[in-house]
Amino acid sequence: MYQVDAKVINQTEVIENHFILKIFAPEIVKKAIPGQFVMLSAWKQRDPLLRRPFTFNRIFCKEGSFELLYKKVGKGTEIMSNLKTSDQVSLLGPLGNGIKFTQNMKRIAIVSRGIGVAPMLAIVDSAKEKGIDIYAYLSATTKDLLLRKEEIKEKAKSLYITTDDASLGTSGKVTDFLEKTLKDTKIDAVYTCGSKRLKRHIESLKKLYGFNAWVILEEHMACGIGACKGCVCRAKKANDHKDRYLLVCKDGPVFPVDEVEV
Amino acid sequence: MMEKINMSINLGGLQLKNPVIPASGTFDLYENNPLPYDTKRLGAVMTKSIFLEKRLGNLPPRICETTSGLINALGTPGEGVEYLIKKKLPVFQKANQTVIVSIGGDGAKEFKLLAERLDKVEGIDAIELDLSCPNNEDNIIIARDEFLTEQTVAQVKEVFTKPIIAKLSPNVTDITKIARAAQKGGADILSLINTISAMAIDIKTKKPVLGNKVGGLSGPAIKPIAIKMVWEVAQTIDLPIIGIGGISNSEDAIEFLLAGASAVEVGTAALINPMVMLEIIQGIEDYLRQQGYRSIREIVGLAFRNH
Repeated sequence: MYQVDAKVINQTEVIENHFILKIFAPEIVKKAIPGQFVMLSAWKQRDPLLRRPFTFNRIFCKEGSFELLYKKVGKGTEIMSNLKTSDQVSLLGPLGNGIKFTQNMKRIAIVSRGIGVAPMLAIVDSAKEKGIDIYAYLSATTKDLLLRKEEIKEKAKSLYITTDDASLGTSGKVTDFLEKTLKDTKIDAVYTCGSKRLKRHIESLKKLYGFNAWVILEEHMACGIGACKGCVCRAKKANDHKDRYLLVCKDGPVFPVDEVEV
Repeated sequence: MMEKINMSINLGGLQLKNPVIPASGTFDLYENNPLPYDTKRLGAVMTKSIFLEKRLGNLPPRICETTSGLINALGTPGEGVEYLIKKKLPVFQKANQTVIVSIGGDGAKEFKLLAERLDKVEGIDAIELDLSCPNNEDNIIIARDEFLTEQTVAQVKEVFTKPIIAKLSPNVTDITKIARAAQKGGADILSLINTISAMAIDIKTKKPVLGNKVGGLSGPAIKPIAIKMVWEVAQTIDLPIIGIGGISNSEDAIEFLLAGASAVEVGTAALINPMVMLEIIQGIEDYLRQQGYRSIREIVGLAFRNH
Protein backbone atom coordinates (compact mmCIF):
# COMPACT_ATOMS: atom_id res chain seq x y z
CA MET A 1 0.00 0.00 0.00
CA TYR A 2 1.41 3.36 -1.04
CA GLN A 3 0.17 6.90 -0.60
CA VAL A 4 1.40 9.01 -3.50
CA ASP A 5 0.72 12.24 -5.33
CA ALA A 6 0.36 11.35 -8.99
CA LYS A 7 -0.02 13.24 -12.25
CA VAL A 8 -2.91 12.96 -14.66
CA ILE A 9 -1.69 11.85 -18.10
CA ASN A 10 -4.98 12.57 -19.81
CA GLN A 11 -8.73 12.32 -19.48
CA THR A 12 -11.43 11.68 -22.05
CA GLU A 13 -15.19 11.84 -21.81
CA VAL A 14 -16.11 8.65 -23.65
CA ILE A 15 -19.81 9.37 -23.73
CA GLU A 16 -21.82 11.88 -21.75
CA ASN A 17 -20.86 11.73 -18.05
CA HIS A 18 -18.54 8.73 -18.50
CA PHE A 19 -14.81 9.31 -18.27
CA ILE A 20 -11.53 7.50 -18.70
CA LEU A 21 -8.83 9.00 -16.51
CA LYS A 22 -5.22 7.99 -17.10
CA ILE A 23 -2.77 8.48 -14.24
CA PHE A 24 0.99 8.01 -13.92
CA ALA A 25 1.80 6.17 -10.67
CA PRO A 26 4.63 3.66 -11.14
CA GLU A 27 4.88 2.61 -7.45
CA ILE A 28 1.23 1.64 -7.37
CA VAL A 29 1.23 0.05 -10.83
CA LYS A 30 4.18 -2.16 -9.91
CA LYS A 31 2.06 -3.90 -7.28
CA ALA A 32 -1.38 -3.63 -8.89
CA ILE A 33 -3.38 -6.57 -10.16
CA PRO A 34 -6.85 -6.61 -11.77
CA GLY A 35 -9.74 -6.41 -9.32
CA GLN A 36 -7.80 -4.20 -6.92
CA PHE A 37 -8.62 -0.53 -6.43
CA VAL A 38 -7.23 2.85 -5.45
CA MET A 39 -8.66 5.50 -3.15
CA LEU A 40 -8.43 8.81 -4.99
CA SER A 41 -8.72 12.40 -3.92
CA ALA A 42 -8.61 15.32 -6.34
CA TRP A 43 -9.57 17.92 -3.74
CA LYS A 44 -7.67 19.69 -1.01
CA GLN A 45 -10.66 21.37 0.60
CA ARG A 46 -12.88 19.41 2.98
CA ASP A 47 -16.06 19.16 0.97
CA PRO A 48 -16.07 16.54 -0.43
CA LEU A 49 -14.18 15.05 2.47
CA LEU A 50 -13.47 11.42 1.71
CA ARG A 51 -11.40 9.80 -0.99
CA ARG A 52 -13.34 7.82 -3.58
CA PRO A 53 -12.65 4.18 -4.45
CA PHE A 54 -12.01 3.19 -8.10
CA THR A 55 -11.12 -0.18 -9.55
CA PHE A 56 -8.30 -0.44 -12.08
CA ASN A 57 -9.86 -0.37 -15.52
CA ARG A 58 -6.55 -0.87 -17.25
CA ILE A 59 -3.04 -1.37 -15.90
CA PHE A 60 -0.07 -0.42 -18.09
CA CYS A 61 2.86 -2.10 -16.35
CA LYS A 62 5.60 -0.90 -18.70
CA GLU A 63 4.36 2.70 -18.71
CA GLY A 64 3.78 2.77 -14.96
CA SER A 65 0.28 4.11 -15.50
CA PHE A 66 -3.31 3.01 -15.18
CA GLU A 67 -6.76 4.03 -16.31
CA LEU A 68 -9.93 4.45 -14.32
CA LEU A 69 -13.37 4.32 -15.88
CA TYR A 70 -16.02 6.21 -13.99
CA LYS A 71 -19.40 7.82 -14.24
CA LYS A 72 -20.00 11.33 -12.97
CA VAL A 73 -22.55 10.91 -10.20
CA GLY A 74 -21.77 13.35 -7.41
CA LYS A 75 -19.48 15.95 -5.88
CA GLY A 76 -16.29 13.90 -6.08
CA THR A 77 -16.65 12.66 -9.64
CA GLU A 78 -17.79 16.15 -10.69
CA ILE A 79 -14.43 17.56 -9.57
CA MET A 80 -12.60 14.63 -11.14
CA SER A 81 -14.31 15.22 -14.46
CA ASN A 82 -12.52 18.57 -14.70
CA LEU A 83 -9.03 17.08 -14.26
CA LYS A 84 -6.62 17.96 -17.06
CA THR A 85 -3.22 16.67 -18.16
CA SER A 86 -0.53 17.33 -15.49
CA ASP A 87 -3.08 17.96 -12.71
CA GLN A 88 -2.23 16.21 -9.46
CA VAL A 89 -4.30 13.65 -7.58
CA SER A 90 -3.61 11.88 -4.31
CA LEU A 91 -3.77 8.08 -4.39
CA LEU A 92 -3.76 5.31 -1.84
CA GLY A 93 -3.26 1.86 -3.25
CA PRO A 94 -3.25 -0.73 -4.58
CA LEU A 95 -5.93 -1.92 -2.18
CA GLY A 96 -8.01 -5.04 -1.67
CA ASN A 97 -7.64 -8.53 -3.03
CA GLY A 98 -7.33 -8.77 -6.78
CA ILE A 99 -7.70 -11.59 -9.25
CA LYS A 100 -5.09 -14.27 -9.57
CA PHE A 101 -5.19 -16.69 -12.47
CA THR A 102 -4.03 -20.21 -11.74
CA GLN A 103 -1.71 -22.22 -13.99
CA ASN A 104 -4.36 -24.61 -15.27
CA MET A 105 -6.89 -21.95 -16.35
CA LYS A 106 -7.64 -22.12 -20.04
CA ARG A 107 -10.90 -20.23 -20.47
CA ILE A 108 -12.53 -17.48 -18.45
CA ALA A 109 -15.76 -15.55 -18.86
CA ILE A 110 -16.48 -11.95 -17.95
CA VAL A 111 -20.07 -10.91 -17.41
CA SER A 112 -20.83 -7.28 -16.71
CA ARG A 113 -23.51 -4.67 -16.93
CA GLY A 114 -23.09 -0.96 -17.54
CA ILE A 115 -20.29 0.68 -15.60
CA GLY A 116 -19.67 -2.76 -14.06
CA VAL A 117 -17.36 -3.28 -17.01
CA ALA A 118 -14.84 -1.11 -15.12
CA PRO A 119 -12.71 -3.94 -13.65
CA MET A 120 -13.23 -6.22 -16.67
CA LEU A 121 -10.80 -4.75 -19.18
CA ALA A 122 -7.91 -5.15 -16.72
CA ILE A 123 -8.94 -8.79 -16.27
CA VAL A 124 -9.14 -9.26 -20.04
CA ASP A 125 -5.70 -7.70 -20.61
CA SER A 126 -4.11 -9.87 -17.97
CA ALA A 127 -5.82 -13.09 -19.13
CA LYS A 128 -4.86 -12.45 -22.75
CA GLU A 129 -1.24 -11.97 -21.74
CA LYS A 130 -1.31 -15.37 -20.06
CA GLY A 131 -2.81 -17.04 -23.11
CA ILE A 132 -6.19 -17.62 -21.48
CA ASP A 133 -9.23 -17.55 -23.78
CA ILE A 134 -11.77 -14.89 -22.90
CA TYR A 135 -15.53 -15.19 -23.36
CA ALA A 136 -17.13 -11.81 -22.83
CA TYR A 137 -20.80 -11.11 -22.03
CA LEU A 138 -21.69 -7.44 -21.86
CA SER A 139 -25.04 -5.92 -21.04
CA ALA A 140 -26.27 -2.33 -20.84
CA THR A 141 -29.47 -0.32 -21.11
CA THR A 142 -28.44 0.96 -24.53
CA LYS A 143 -25.55 0.46 -26.94
CA ASP A 144 -23.73 3.71 -26.05
CA LEU A 145 -23.31 2.42 -22.52
CA LEU A 146 -21.41 -0.66 -23.69
CA LEU A 147 -18.19 0.97 -22.61
CA ARG A 148 -14.85 -0.58 -23.58
CA LYS A 149 -16.67 -2.90 -25.99
CA GLU A 150 -14.08 -2.45 -28.75
CA GLU A 151 -11.07 -3.09 -26.52
CA ILE A 152 -12.68 -6.21 -25.10
CA LYS A 153 -13.76 -7.42 -28.55
CA GLU A 154 -10.18 -7.17 -29.75
CA LYS A 155 -8.96 -9.58 -27.11
CA ALA A 156 -11.94 -11.86 -26.56
CA LYS A 157 -12.48 -15.18 -28.29
CA SER A 158 -16.20 -14.48 -28.35
CA LEU A 159 -18.26 -11.47 -27.39
CA TYR A 160 -21.99 -11.52 -26.60
CA ILE A 161 -24.03 -8.38 -26.15
CA THR A 162 -27.48 -7.57 -24.89
CA THR A 163 -29.11 -4.16 -24.54
CA ASP A 164 -32.45 -3.43 -22.89
CA ASP A 165 -33.59 -1.45 -25.94
CA ALA A 166 -32.07 -3.94 -28.41
CA SER A 167 -30.01 -1.11 -29.92
CA LEU A 168 -27.18 -3.65 -30.18
CA GLY A 169 -27.44 -7.40 -29.77
CA THR A 170 -30.67 -8.79 -28.40
CA SER A 171 -32.71 -7.57 -25.45
CA GLY A 172 -32.54 -10.90 -23.64
CA LYS A 173 -30.51 -11.99 -20.65
CA VAL A 174 -26.79 -11.95 -21.29
CA THR A 175 -26.39 -14.94 -18.97
CA ASP A 176 -28.50 -17.01 -21.41
CA PHE A 177 -25.56 -16.66 -23.81
CA LEU A 178 -23.21 -17.72 -21.06
CA GLU A 179 -25.35 -20.80 -20.46
CA LYS A 180 -25.18 -21.67 -24.17
CA THR A 181 -21.40 -21.49 -24.02
CA LEU A 182 -21.29 -23.57 -20.85
CA LYS A 183 -23.20 -26.37 -22.57
CA ASP A 184 -20.27 -27.22 -24.83
CA THR A 185 -17.28 -25.36 -23.41
CA LYS A 186 -15.51 -25.76 -20.09
CA ILE A 187 -15.12 -22.33 -18.51
CA ASP A 188 -12.67 -22.31 -15.60
CA ALA A 189 -13.68 -19.04 -13.99
CA VAL A 190 -16.43 -16.46 -14.38
CA TYR A 191 -16.06 -12.85 -13.21
CA THR A 192 -19.00 -10.53 -12.85
CA CYS A 193 -19.61 -6.94 -11.81
CA GLY A 194 -22.31 -4.32 -11.96
CA SER A 195 -25.57 -6.19 -11.50
CA LYS A 196 -27.17 -8.08 -8.64
CA ARG A 197 -29.33 -9.94 -11.14
CA LEU A 198 -26.36 -11.13 -13.18
CA LYS A 199 -24.62 -12.21 -10.00
CA ARG A 200 -27.63 -14.32 -9.02
CA HIS A 201 -27.91 -15.87 -12.48
CA ILE A 202 -24.26 -16.84 -12.40
CA GLU A 203 -24.71 -18.34 -8.97
CA SER A 204 -27.44 -20.64 -10.26
CA LEU A 205 -25.45 -21.50 -13.38
CA LYS A 206 -22.52 -22.38 -11.15
CA LYS A 207 -24.66 -24.94 -9.34
CA LEU A 208 -25.63 -26.50 -12.68
CA TYR A 209 -22.34 -26.42 -14.52
CA GLY A 210 -19.71 -26.20 -11.79
CA PHE A 211 -17.11 -23.50 -12.33
CA ASN A 212 -15.36 -20.95 -10.14
CA ALA A 213 -17.19 -17.65 -10.11
CA TRP A 214 -16.27 -14.33 -8.59
CA VAL A 215 -18.18 -11.13 -8.09
CA ILE A 216 -16.46 -7.76 -7.81
CA LEU A 217 -18.42 -5.57 -5.41
CA GLU A 218 -18.45 -1.82 -5.08
CA GLU A 219 -19.46 0.05 -1.95
CA HIS A 220 -19.15 3.49 -0.41
CA MET A 221 -15.91 3.56 1.55
CA ALA A 222 -14.39 6.01 3.98
CA CYS A 223 -10.89 4.55 4.19
CA GLY A 224 -10.44 1.57 1.86
CA ILE A 225 -7.94 0.00 4.26
CA GLY A 226 -10.14 -1.92 6.69
CA ALA A 227 -10.10 0.72 9.42
CA CYS A 228 -13.58 2.22 9.37
CA LYS A 229 -15.64 -0.99 8.91
CA GLY A 230 -18.13 1.02 6.88
CA CYS A 231 -18.17 -0.91 3.58
CA VAL A 232 -19.78 -4.15 4.63
CA CYS A 233 -21.65 -6.76 2.65
CA ARG A 234 -23.55 -9.66 4.15
CA ALA A 235 -21.87 -13.05 3.99
CA LYS A 236 -23.96 -16.06 2.98
CA LYS A 237 -24.82 -17.97 6.10
CA ALA A 238 -22.41 -20.77 6.82
CA ASN A 239 -23.32 -24.04 8.54
CA ASP A 240 -23.60 -22.30 11.89
CA HIS A 241 -26.41 -20.10 10.43
CA LYS A 242 -24.89 -17.03 12.03
CA ASP A 243 -25.08 -13.59 10.48
CA ARG A 244 -21.73 -12.28 9.37
CA TYR A 245 -20.52 -9.19 7.56
CA LEU A 246 -17.50 -8.94 5.30
CA LEU A 247 -15.55 -5.79 4.48
CA VAL A 248 -15.66 -5.02 0.77
CA CYS A 249 -12.29 -3.22 0.98
CA LYS A 250 -10.37 -5.74 3.05
CA ASP A 251 -12.05 -9.10 2.49
CA GLY A 252 -12.89 -8.22 -1.15
CA PRO A 253 -13.67 -6.49 -3.41
CA VAL A 254 -13.44 -9.80 -5.29
CA PHE A 255 -15.60 -12.43 -3.58
CA PRO A 256 -16.61 -15.98 -4.49
CA VAL A 257 -20.06 -15.44 -6.00
CA ASP A 258 -21.79 -17.78 -3.54
CA GLU A 259 -20.17 -16.39 -0.41
CA VAL A 260 -21.86 -12.98 -0.39
CA GLU A 261 -25.43 -11.73 -0.48
CA VAL A 262 -26.11 -8.70 -2.62
CA MET B 1 21.86 23.80 16.49
CA MET B 2 18.12 23.26 16.65
CA GLU B 3 16.56 23.52 20.08
CA LYS B 4 15.39 20.13 21.33
CA ILE B 5 11.64 20.11 21.80
CA ASN B 6 10.16 17.86 24.46
CA MET B 7 7.19 16.26 22.71
CA SER B 8 6.49 13.77 25.51
CA ILE B 9 3.59 14.19 27.85
CA ASN B 10 2.39 12.47 31.00
CA LEU B 11 -1.37 12.12 31.23
CA GLY B 12 -2.40 11.02 34.69
CA GLY B 13 0.22 8.28 34.72
CA LEU B 14 0.01 7.48 31.02
CA GLN B 15 3.35 8.40 29.50
CA LEU B 16 3.27 9.28 25.79
CA LYS B 17 6.30 10.09 23.65
CA ASN B 18 4.18 12.57 21.74
CA PRO B 19 0.55 13.71 22.09
CA VAL B 20 -0.96 12.20 18.91
CA ILE B 21 -3.09 9.07 19.16
CA PRO B 22 -5.44 7.46 16.63
CA ALA B 23 -9.08 7.80 17.70
CA SER B 24 -10.83 4.58 18.55
CA GLY B 25 -13.01 3.19 15.80
CA THR B 26 -11.09 4.83 12.99
CA PHE B 27 -7.92 2.79 13.24
CA ASP B 28 -7.09 -0.86 12.80
CA LEU B 29 -3.99 -2.89 12.17
CA TYR B 30 -3.53 -6.06 10.17
CA GLU B 31 -0.50 -8.30 10.33
CA ASN B 32 -0.42 -8.95 6.58
CA ASN B 33 -1.08 -5.43 5.33
CA PRO B 34 0.86 -2.76 7.18
CA LEU B 35 -0.04 0.91 6.98
CA PRO B 36 2.14 3.04 4.68
CA TYR B 37 4.10 4.56 7.60
CA ASP B 38 5.90 3.60 10.78
CA THR B 39 3.23 3.35 13.48
CA LYS B 40 5.97 3.34 16.14
CA ARG B 41 6.14 7.10 15.66
CA LEU B 42 2.61 7.65 17.01
CA GLY B 43 2.07 8.68 20.63
CA ALA B 44 0.16 5.43 21.15
CA VAL B 45 -2.05 3.04 19.25
CA MET B 46 -5.73 2.57 20.10
CA THR B 47 -7.97 -0.43 19.42
CA LYS B 48 -11.56 -0.26 18.29
CA SER B 49 -14.08 -0.48 21.14
CA ILE B 50 -14.27 -4.06 22.26
CA PHE B 51 -17.11 -5.82 24.08
CA LEU B 52 -17.11 -9.13 25.95
CA GLU B 53 -18.75 -10.99 23.09
CA LYS B 54 -18.65 -10.81 19.33
CA ARG B 55 -20.92 -8.12 17.87
CA LEU B 56 -22.25 -8.08 14.33
CA GLY B 57 -22.64 -4.31 14.03
CA ASN B 58 -25.36 -2.40 12.24
CA LEU B 59 -27.01 -2.98 8.90
CA PRO B 60 -25.39 -1.18 5.96
CA PRO B 61 -25.18 1.53 4.82
CA ARG B 62 -23.03 2.34 7.83
CA ILE B 63 -21.36 5.53 6.65
CA CYS B 64 -22.49 8.68 4.92
CA GLU B 65 -20.46 11.68 3.85
CA THR B 66 -21.91 15.09 4.67
CA THR B 67 -20.56 18.61 4.25
CA SER B 68 -17.06 18.42 5.78
CA GLY B 69 -18.17 15.51 7.87
CA LEU B 70 -18.86 11.80 8.08
CA ILE B 71 -21.85 10.22 9.78
CA ASN B 72 -21.30 6.68 10.94
CA ALA B 73 -23.58 4.11 12.46
CA LEU B 74 -21.32 1.11 12.74
CA GLY B 75 -22.86 -0.39 15.84
CA THR B 76 -19.38 -1.22 17.19
CA PRO B 77 -18.82 -4.48 15.33
CA GLY B 78 -16.11 -6.61 16.86
CA GLU B 79 -14.87 -10.07 17.63
CA GLY B 80 -15.05 -9.91 21.42
CA VAL B 81 -12.41 -9.49 24.09
CA GLU B 82 -10.77 -12.92 23.90
CA TYR B 83 -10.16 -12.55 20.15
CA LEU B 84 -8.73 -9.10 20.80
CA ILE B 85 -6.33 -10.44 23.40
CA LYS B 86 -5.19 -13.38 21.30
CA LYS B 87 -5.18 -11.99 17.77
CA LYS B 88 -5.23 -8.20 17.73
CA LEU B 89 -3.21 -7.20 20.74
CA PRO B 90 0.06 -8.79 19.54
CA VAL B 91 -0.22 -6.79 16.29
CA PHE B 92 -0.90 -3.58 18.20
CA GLN B 93 1.95 -4.24 20.63
CA LYS B 94 4.34 -4.75 17.74
CA ALA B 95 3.12 -1.48 16.20
CA ASN B 96 3.81 0.79 19.17
CA GLN B 97 5.23 0.69 22.69
CA THR B 98 2.06 2.25 24.10
CA VAL B 99 -1.26 0.47 23.62
CA ILE B 100 -4.65 1.78 24.68
CA VAL B 101 -7.64 -0.56 24.54
CA SER B 102 -11.05 0.99 24.07
CA ILE B 103 -13.89 -0.87 25.76
CA GLY B 104 -17.67 -0.73 25.49
CA GLY B 105 -20.43 -2.41 27.42
CA ASP B 106 -24.14 -2.80 28.04
CA GLY B 107 -23.81 -1.14 31.42
CA ALA B 108 -21.35 -0.88 34.29
CA LYS B 109 -21.24 -4.64 34.83
CA GLU B 110 -19.85 -5.41 31.36
CA PHE B 111 -17.35 -2.55 31.63
CA LYS B 112 -16.15 -4.00 34.93
CA LEU B 113 -15.81 -7.55 33.58
CA LEU B 114 -13.83 -6.28 30.61
CA ALA B 115 -11.57 -4.12 32.74
CA GLU B 116 -10.97 -7.02 35.13
CA ARG B 117 -10.01 -9.28 32.22
CA LEU B 118 -7.75 -6.68 30.59
CA ASP B 119 -6.01 -5.83 33.86
CA LYS B 120 -4.52 -9.33 33.80
CA VAL B 121 -3.11 -8.84 30.30
CA GLU B 122 0.46 -7.63 29.82
CA GLY B 123 1.23 -4.76 27.51
CA ILE B 124 -1.91 -2.65 27.90
CA ASP B 125 -1.03 0.84 29.08
CA ALA B 126 -4.49 2.31 29.57
CA ILE B 127 -8.13 1.69 28.75
CA GLU B 128 -10.55 4.16 27.26
CA LEU B 129 -14.18 3.74 28.26
CA ASP B 130 -16.56 4.28 25.36
CA LEU B 131 -19.33 5.62 27.59
CA SER B 132 -21.61 6.44 24.65
CA CYS B 133 -23.11 2.96 25.00
CA PRO B 134 -26.67 2.39 26.20
CA ASN B 135 -27.08 0.97 29.69
CA ASN B 136 -29.00 -2.31 29.37
CA GLU B 137 -31.41 -1.70 32.24
CA ASP B 138 -32.97 1.56 31.16
CA ASN B 139 -31.46 2.05 27.68
CA ILE B 140 -30.05 5.41 28.75
CA ILE B 141 -26.70 6.32 27.18
CA ILE B 142 -24.21 6.12 30.03
CA ALA B 143 -22.34 9.27 28.99
CA ARG B 144 -25.61 11.25 29.09
CA ASP B 145 -26.20 10.50 32.74
CA GLU B 146 -24.09 11.67 35.67
CA PHE B 147 -25.02 8.77 37.92
CA LEU B 148 -24.38 6.07 35.30
CA THR B 149 -21.10 7.70 34.29
CA GLU B 150 -19.82 7.85 37.86
CA GLN B 151 -21.02 4.33 38.60
CA THR B 152 -19.44 2.85 35.46
CA VAL B 153 -16.07 4.53 35.96
CA ALA B 154 -16.09 3.57 39.65
CA GLN B 155 -16.76 -0.09 38.85
CA VAL B 156 -13.86 -0.11 36.40
CA LYS B 157 -11.63 1.67 38.91
CA GLU B 158 -12.19 -1.13 41.41
CA VAL B 159 -10.55 -3.67 39.16
CA PHE B 160 -8.25 -1.84 36.74
CA THR B 161 -4.86 -0.77 38.02
CA LYS B 162 -3.60 1.34 35.12
CA PRO B 163 -4.87 4.71 33.83
CA ILE B 164 -8.53 4.93 32.91
CA ILE B 165 -9.67 7.32 30.19
CA ALA B 166 -13.35 8.27 30.25
CA LYS B 167 -14.56 9.22 26.74
CA LEU B 168 -17.32 11.77 26.94
CA SER B 169 -20.26 12.37 24.65
CA PRO B 170 -21.11 15.85 23.37
CA ASN B 171 -24.80 14.94 23.26
CA VAL B 172 -25.48 16.40 26.69
CA THR B 173 -26.72 19.66 28.16
CA ASP B 174 -23.63 20.36 30.26
CA ILE B 175 -20.54 18.29 29.55
CA THR B 176 -18.73 19.61 32.64
CA LYS B 177 -21.28 17.83 34.87
CA ILE B 178 -20.56 14.48 33.19
CA ALA B 179 -16.83 15.21 33.33
CA ARG B 180 -17.17 15.84 37.08
CA ALA B 181 -19.05 12.55 37.48
CA ALA B 182 -16.29 10.69 35.64
CA GLN B 183 -13.73 12.33 37.91
CA LYS B 184 -15.70 11.32 41.00
CA GLY B 185 -15.83 7.77 39.67
CA GLY B 186 -12.05 7.76 39.51
CA ALA B 187 -11.16 8.56 35.90
CA ASP B 188 -7.50 9.47 35.42
CA ILE B 189 -7.96 11.12 32.03
CA LEU B 190 -10.91 12.52 30.09
CA SER B 191 -11.20 12.25 26.32
CA LEU B 192 -13.69 14.37 24.42
CA ILE B 193 -15.65 14.57 22.27
CA ASN B 194 -17.25 11.46 20.82
CA THR B 195 -19.38 11.89 17.68
CA ILE B 196 -22.36 14.24 17.60
CA SER B 197 -25.77 12.66 17.12
CA ALA B 198 -26.77 13.16 13.49
CA MET B 199 -28.65 11.82 10.49
CA ALA B 200 -29.06 12.27 6.75
CA ILE B 201 -32.03 11.62 4.47
CA ASP B 202 -31.79 10.60 0.84
CA ILE B 203 -34.11 12.91 -1.09
CA LYS B 204 -34.42 10.40 -3.95
CA THR B 205 -35.56 7.43 -1.86
CA LYS B 206 -37.04 9.74 0.82
CA LYS B 207 -35.56 7.50 3.49
CA PRO B 208 -32.77 7.82 6.04
CA VAL B 209 -29.42 7.10 4.38
CA LEU B 210 -28.00 4.95 7.16
CA GLY B 211 -29.16 1.42 7.89
CA ASN B 212 -29.45 2.41 11.54
CA LYS B 213 -31.26 5.63 10.48
CA VAL B 214 -29.27 7.77 12.95
CA GLY B 215 -25.57 7.91 13.65
CA GLY B 216 -22.73 10.08 14.86
CA LEU B 217 -21.07 12.95 13.03
CA SER B 218 -17.30 13.27 12.94
CA GLY B 219 -14.81 15.19 10.84
CA PRO B 220 -13.88 18.86 10.34
CA ALA B 221 -17.52 19.95 10.74
CA ILE B 222 -17.49 19.20 14.48
CA LYS B 223 -14.14 20.75 15.43
CA PRO B 224 -15.39 24.12 16.74
CA ILE B 225 -17.94 22.34 18.96
CA ALA B 226 -15.24 20.04 20.32
CA ILE B 227 -12.87 22.95 20.96
CA LYS B 228 -15.51 24.71 23.03
CA MET B 229 -16.24 21.60 25.09
CA VAL B 230 -12.54 20.98 25.78
CA TRP B 231 -12.20 24.64 26.74
CA GLU B 232 -15.10 24.34 29.21
CA VAL B 233 -14.00 21.06 30.78
CA ALA B 234 -10.34 22.09 31.02
CA GLN B 235 -11.28 25.12 33.11
CA THR B 236 -13.65 23.22 35.36
CA ILE B 237 -12.08 19.81 35.98
CA ASP B 238 -8.56 19.16 37.13
CA LEU B 239 -7.83 16.11 34.99
CA PRO B 240 -5.71 15.76 31.85
CA ILE B 241 -7.74 15.91 28.66
CA ILE B 242 -7.35 14.21 25.31
CA GLY B 243 -9.00 16.44 22.71
CA ILE B 244 -10.94 14.77 19.90
CA GLY B 245 -13.12 16.16 17.12
CA GLY B 246 -12.34 16.86 13.50
CA ILE B 247 -8.59 17.30 13.87
CA SER B 248 -7.22 17.29 10.32
CA ASN B 249 -3.83 18.98 10.59
CA SER B 250 -1.35 20.34 13.12
CA GLU B 251 -3.10 23.72 13.36
CA ASP B 252 -6.26 21.94 14.51
CA ALA B 253 -4.29 19.88 17.02
CA ILE B 254 -2.54 22.98 18.41
CA GLU B 255 -5.92 24.67 18.81
CA PHE B 256 -7.01 21.77 21.04
CA LEU B 257 -3.81 22.02 23.10
CA LEU B 258 -4.37 25.74 23.58
CA ALA B 259 -7.98 25.02 24.60
CA GLY B 260 -6.70 22.80 27.39
CA ALA B 261 -6.08 19.34 25.93
CA SER B 262 -2.75 17.68 26.75
CA ALA B 263 -3.01 15.23 23.86
CA VAL B 264 -5.24 14.63 20.84
CA GLU B 265 -6.92 11.76 19.05
CA VAL B 266 -7.20 11.87 15.28
CA GLY B 267 -9.99 9.93 13.60
CA THR B 268 -11.75 10.81 10.39
CA ALA B 269 -8.73 12.64 8.91
CA ALA B 270 -6.61 9.50 9.26
CA LEU B 271 -9.22 7.52 7.34
CA ILE B 272 -8.60 9.84 4.42
CA ASN B 273 -4.87 10.36 4.85
CA PRO B 274 -3.22 7.60 6.87
CA MET B 275 -0.04 9.71 7.09
CA VAL B 276 -1.80 12.67 8.70
CA MET B 277 -0.86 11.80 12.27
CA LEU B 278 2.86 11.96 11.45
CA GLU B 279 2.31 15.31 9.73
CA ILE B 280 0.52 16.54 12.87
CA ILE B 281 3.35 15.42 15.18
CA GLN B 282 5.87 17.22 12.99
CA GLY B 283 3.67 20.30 12.72
CA ILE B 284 3.26 20.60 16.49
CA GLU B 285 7.01 20.31 16.98
CA ASP B 286 7.67 22.97 14.33
CA TYR B 287 5.11 25.29 15.93
CA LEU B 288 6.64 24.93 19.38
CA ARG B 289 10.09 25.65 18.00
CA GLN B 290 8.94 28.67 16.01
CA GLN B 291 7.07 30.05 18.99
CA GLY B 292 9.99 29.58 21.33
CA TYR B 293 8.52 26.83 23.53
CA ARG B 294 10.42 23.76 24.62
CA SER B 295 7.63 21.40 25.59
CA ILE B 296 4.00 20.56 24.90
CA ARG B 297 3.14 21.23 28.52
CA GLU B 298 3.88 24.95 28.11
CA ILE B 299 1.02 25.55 25.67
CA VAL B 300 -1.68 23.37 27.25
CA GLY B 301 -4.60 25.62 28.12
CA LEU B 302 -2.78 28.81 27.14
CA ALA B 303 -5.97 30.16 25.60
CA PHE B 304 -7.53 30.54 29.04
CA ARG B 305 -4.39 30.78 31.14
CA ASN B 306 -3.55 33.96 29.21
CA HIS B 307 -6.68 35.71 30.40
